[in-house]
Amino acid sequence: MTPGEASSGVVDPASFRDPGGYIFRRDGVLYRAIQPVAAADWSAFEDRGLAAELVGAGLLVGYAPVSVDLAPRPGAALVIRPRELPIISYPYEWAFSQLREAALLTLEVQRRALSAGMWLRDASAYNVQVDAGRPILIDSLSFEVADLSAPWPAYRQFCKHFLAPLALMAHRDPRCGLMLRDFIDGLPLDLTTALLPGRTRIGGLLPHLHLHAGADRRAQRAEIQGASEPGATQSRARPMNRTRHEALLDSLRRAVEGLNLELGSHWLSYTRQTSYTEAAAASKREIVERMLAQAGGTLIWDLGANVGTYSDIAAGPGRQVIAFDQDPAVVELHWRSLSPEQRASVLPLVNDLTNPSPALGWAHTERRSMLQRGPADVAMALALVHHLAIGNNVPLPQVAELLAHAGRRVVVEFVPKEDPMVQQLLAGRRDIFDAYSLDAFRTALDEWFVTMDEAPVTDSLRTLFLLERRPD
Amino acid sequence: MPPIAYIDPGSGSLLLQALIAALLAVPFIFRRTIGGFWHRLRGDAEPEESASAEVVSSDGPNTSDH
Repeated sequence: MTPGEASSGVVDPASFRDPGGYIFRRDGVLYRAIQPVAAADWSAFEDRGLAAELVGAGLLVGYAPVSVDLAPRPGAALVIRPRELPIISYPYEWAFSQLREAALLTLEVQRRALSAGMWLRDASAYNVQVDAGRPILIDSLSFEVADLSAPWPAYRQFCKHFLAPLALMAHRDPRCGLMLRDFIDGLPLDLTTALLPGRTRIGGLLPHLHLHAGADRRAQRAEIQGASEPGATQSRARPMNRTRHEALLDSLRRAVEGLNLELGSHWLSYTRQTSYTEAAAASKREIVERMLAQAGGTLIWDLGANVGTYSDIAAGPGRQVIAFDQDPAVVELHWRSLSPEQRASVLPLVNDLTNPSPALGWAHTERRSMLQRGPADVAMALALVHHLAIGNNVPLPQVAELLAHAGRRVVVEFVPKEDPMVQQLLAGRRDIFDAYSLDAFRTALDEWFVTMDEAPVTDSLRTLFLLERRPD
Repeated sequence: MPPIAYIDPGSGSLLLQALIAALLAVPFIFRRTIGGFWHRLRGDAEPEESASAEVVSSDGPNTSDH
């Protein structure tokens, strides 16, 4: 093989932490290289039947062995080609139930691994993706032969990545999930326990969060005072055995299952609020369906999706929809409203367009921003522009620019000032929006797009556009 | 520690884990054995977590869980 410029393979910048292997791309295809240091664990993972069991059960992403010569760096022991997922999302974009399902998946994988004498050597929430509506582990390289007489090394990471945010979302506020943006290795346990209400000190969260935070604090103090020599923990008596591992896992599972997010009734009424008549709703639906059919494509971003009325319409055979909304409670409601079949084609995610998911982690390369994961084939922005322009003071040219980065084609709705919903936005403030008009919007769009279709919504003041981005 | 462990498990976390796992094992075994026995007595289908002897009589160094 002659590794030319195009086919030499590029190592994924997010996979630098694990000495056991790395992800790379060659000719657009995703691969995982496994280094000699991890080769024995990998053999055990396959020889003991654990890999086949997990892939067969849909808990781990499937993969195929390929030639080791594909590795861009010398010295790899083997290379596999994992099935690539069409959508990548991050834990800070998940609703409560999505994170909870990812936590239970991680525990189920660990349970099965223990049965095979192995365990997860990390329990990062970033190792899980939502694939066709179900959580799935994407890190095939997370397994190692377990020393069952020693504690599980990923216990703390599980508590920080899953249990802590879930507890805060359930017991404080679903918006606490957004804290995962700031704390990329999971929520600090001391912060979590400081924020949790006192009643959580009774029950399953006591050992795994409250006592855990205390133990961490004492250990840190001891380290600072030099009370524990390096390796002290390891040299202690072997404190664990198989039963104790299973008991710990069982307790974690009960703690996660004991967490539930209760949404007040005001959410349920809020989300169905619309101002237009039945005729207008029918007309809008018909136009959206027609425009989506004209637009084609397979990946649709529904921006400002609310509980996903139009995402669910847009999702169909061969179409995947990501339904973004800024409100974690609304995203939770949307997720709960979907049947398993619908979940296969609609993924509700938390994202605030006025402050979308940024690029995060080391050198901004570990987690990609929302727009870096685009553009979608079609971006849909229904009943959104007035929220951006009037609710958030974003000038229309900048709204058009954002849409141009979100989708190659765009279905967008313009709601004029006279509409009752805009009147509501203006009710409490001075109208400084002289530049907000249908004509001004057309001009703003023209900078970036060719208009393929424009249609007024019957029995309303609204207009829908189908746009195609101009070539750069 | 395994040779390629690359996350810091936290020394406090490890100690706490060992302590609470030892405590949790007692009710855990109780549930599995008594619960399994109870279900058999009532003729219910065996719950998934019910014990197999191999699992309960753990071969770990600390067999004083019972």
